[in-house]
Amino acid sequence: MARSQLELLVLYQDINLMLQEAEEEKMKMGFQMGGIEKLKKGRDELASKIEPRFLGVYKRLSTRYKHVIAPVQKGTCLGCFAKLPTSLSTRGRDDKSIFTCEQCGRILYWIE
Amino acid sequence: MASFNLINFFQEEFFLPQLVSQTREELLEELVQVLYDRKKVKSKSLILETLLKRETLGSTGIGKRVAVPHCRTLVVSEVTIMVGISPLGIPFDSIDKKDVKLFFLIVAPPQEESNLYLPILGKIVELLRDSRIRKSLMKVKDFSSFLNIIQRG
Repeated sequence: MARSQLELLVLYQDINLMLQEAEEEKMKMGFQMGGIEKLKKGRDELASKIEPRFLGVYKRLSTRYKHVIAPVQKGTCLGCFAKLPTSLSTRGRDDKSIFTCEQCGRILYWIE
Repeated sequence: MASFNLINFFQEEFFLPQLVSQTREELLEELVQVLYDRKKVKSKSLILETLLKRETLGSTGIGKRVAVPHCRTLVVSEVTIMVGISPLGIPFDSIDKKDVKLFFLIVAPPQEESNLYLPILGKIVELLRDSRIRKSLMKVKDFSSFLNIIQRG
């Protein structure tokens, strides 16, 4: 099944954070980290599947936030803790559309 | 470092003493399926792909028949640990090329208030460096024996 644009963005963020952590000494703990370039290539291939308008939003937000996509739990954006409109929660849960938080601008991902 | 008791992060429903998988991909899927069935992850396919991407970075098979697959991903809401034992061993591209019998899968959300992901990961790796503990854990058949060994460690 083809992934939605939101799912691709979630994976993109997960890989970006993985790459950031791979550079940190404390993350090594005896694990092998030789595949950074291979993972970057995988990340870039993934990016090519994301529509430029969405990738543009992600990259713009990434200059402000370490976590561009914020989880939503109990109707609250966990990026800024703003309560979201109920109507948004109903539409956001299916992961088909991309919504942003009206308060902080982060992309929203419903985790429940 | 945040204070925590590792024992509190193990649950019987996330303890699989008789893994049936024969490959790395099957193993990750077998573990993730349980997380998905218990509603710990929103998307099985997304977490599987993130775990496999982590293996691209370098195998989490740390040698001595132990692997600690781990990742941060948005599809989980809290730090969760799964333990799996494969009596026959599974090829995991480990650092010493030996098949892996003991698996600790650790997943955590990117934003985590308790900030326990790294300390937990570090504690488990440290625990598994002890050959006595490692060998005992590979033989356990039930959850209470598993907890006893962890507690003694």
